[in-house]
Amino acid sequence: MDYIAEGFVTALKLLLRGDPETYSAVFTTLRVSSLSIIASLGMGIPLGFSLGYYSFPGKRQIRAVVDTLLALPTVVVGLFVYALITRRGPLGSLGLLFTIPGIAVAQTILVLPIVIALTATAVSHLDVRFKRTVLTLGAGRRRTAITALYESRYGVLAAGVAAYGRAIGEVGVSMMIGGNIKWHTRTITTAIALETGKGQFAMGIALGLVLLLLAFVINWVLQIMRRRA
Amino acid sequence: MSNSALYEIQNLKCRYDENFTLDIPSLTIERGKSYGFVGPNGSGKSTLLRIFAFLDEPDEGRVRFHQGDFSSERALAKKELSKSKAVTMLLQEPYLLKRSVFENIAYGLRVRGIRKHLRARVNESLGMVGLDPGMFSHRKWSELSGGEAQRVALAARLILKPMVLILDEPTASVDRLNAQLIKKIIKVVRKQYLTTLLIASHDLVWLHEVCDEILKMHEGRIMGSGEENFVTGPWFSELDGLWSTLLTDGQRIRALPPPGEELPLRKNAIALLDPTSIIITTERPDHISAQNILFGRLVHMYTFEHSERVKLDIQVSDMSLTCSITRKAASSLGLLPGLRVWVVFKASSLQWQ
Repeated sequence: MDYIAEGFVTALKLLLRGDPETYSAVFTTLRVSSLSIIASLGMGIPLGFSLGYYSFPGKRQIRAVVDTLLALPTVVVGLFVYALITRRGPLGSLGLLFTIPGIAVAQTILVLPIVIALTATAVSHLDVRFKRTVLTLGAGRRRTAITALYESRYGVLAAGVAAYGRAIGEVGVSMMIGGNIKWHTRTITTAIALETGKGQFAMGIALGLVLLLLAFVINWVLQIMRRRA
Repeated sequence: MSNSALYEIQNLKCRYDENFTLDIPSLTIERGKSYGFVGPNGSGKSTLLRIFAFLDEPDEGRVRFHQGDFSSERALAKKELSKSKAVTMLLQEPYLLKRSVFENIAYGLRVRGIRKHLRARVNESLGMVGLDPGMFSHRKWSELSGGEAQRVALAARLILKPMVLILDEPTASVDRLNAQLIKKIIKVVRKQYLTTLLIASHDLVWLHEVCDEILKMHEGRIMGSGEENFVTGPWFSELDGLWSTLLTDGQRIRALPPPGEELPLRKNAIALLDPTSIIITTERPDHISAQNILFGRLVHMYTFEHSERVKLDIQVSDMSLTCSITRKAASSLGLLPGLRVWVVFKASSLQWQ
């Protein structure tokens, strides 16, 4: 059991001493997850808003597909993206395999359904009186839509938090697309997988704690943003 | 269309509540006047107000507003939107946007692209509804009580200096103090902004104090203006040819049948009874030609400013009848709420709808 307690001590040492290997993994994780979250919010918020706000034929079917994709396994996304960007794949010429942008593309596909589904839910759950209220205040169609998005901002923020949590914590995509290359594409999660494989539990626990700490800091910042908004 | 007409409704039909249809053959709303709409729940008041507010479209017929046209064939096009900017409505259960009180009130002006003197105007509106700008301006929507939220919602409409202000049950969920305040505000906006008011309410006494004209609604139709009583069926034919309807305590109301109408078709017809055509006595009258002599209890008495008449609410069986008599008659009869009285009216006083 000593290795668990040892893990906490090691975590502190790694962080305080500024261990370059640990910090490399931390920064890679941040870079990859930030890229994927920006891309997925950029695409997911407009799509999710449209899905929740407007009525059109096939809306329910699309919603069912998006909800199904919430359960998308990371290895399936990894496999799919790998097949596309491998040297002999259709997008092989882009040279994305074993690169940070490559991981970000796959993670975007992974978390996009979360952003779409949660944004759509937030927008469609707006109070029924909302639309009438802004119409009686003279808002036109565009203004009403913009106000609707702003009114559901807490739900959209929650979508972002959930998506970021999934991106930062997943290992399948990072491992398959990134290849766990030291100093290059090694993220915290792939490093933990490696350390566990090597039997270095203390190191693994230390990295796990770093990951949780990171998630806590990010959520704390969002919490403050929420209170201000 | 006369110059003073603001809305003109023709052959309007609009389905609501699945079973009912709003059916208004003709109605004119005049500029600058204040109209009250009364009627039971489900009588179509809110639907009509939403049509006035351009929130709902009629299924048939048309509503002319100002110079424009708002008909069932044309959807809310861009042209209509400018019209909807002249009209604003306070919903029965007001909704506040999830932002500060200031932003809630300023929203309508921002929509209209007005940026000048925003703070001064918001403060002025807050003052009108009796809220201290210093205390409330920066509060969040979630930091208000129900009554405060309604006042903020009202302030968000007042800031627009609207041509038409529509209020749906403004006094339903507020205390008496707030009802008084709303009354005061209505008087101010009519005077300052020459606003036309359309108000739905259950509170007849309150409505009488703020409206020039009261329109009674029942099952989607406007049943005359003023104080008429409704007498509903089912109607039965009597041996002498009169129609009658039974009240729950066994008393009967007898009416002259509408000419040329067959009873089976008009079994559930509604008759109107003018409050001034009712005679009140404190003792049972004998040797009188009137067909209807009903026993009841005086429940409420009201007087109104600038009126020589007294309004009486009399409970006859399960029905509440409104009567109007002169002050002199009321005092000579010694009327007091709670008194047992006789209500007398002719069979021909009932007017068929």
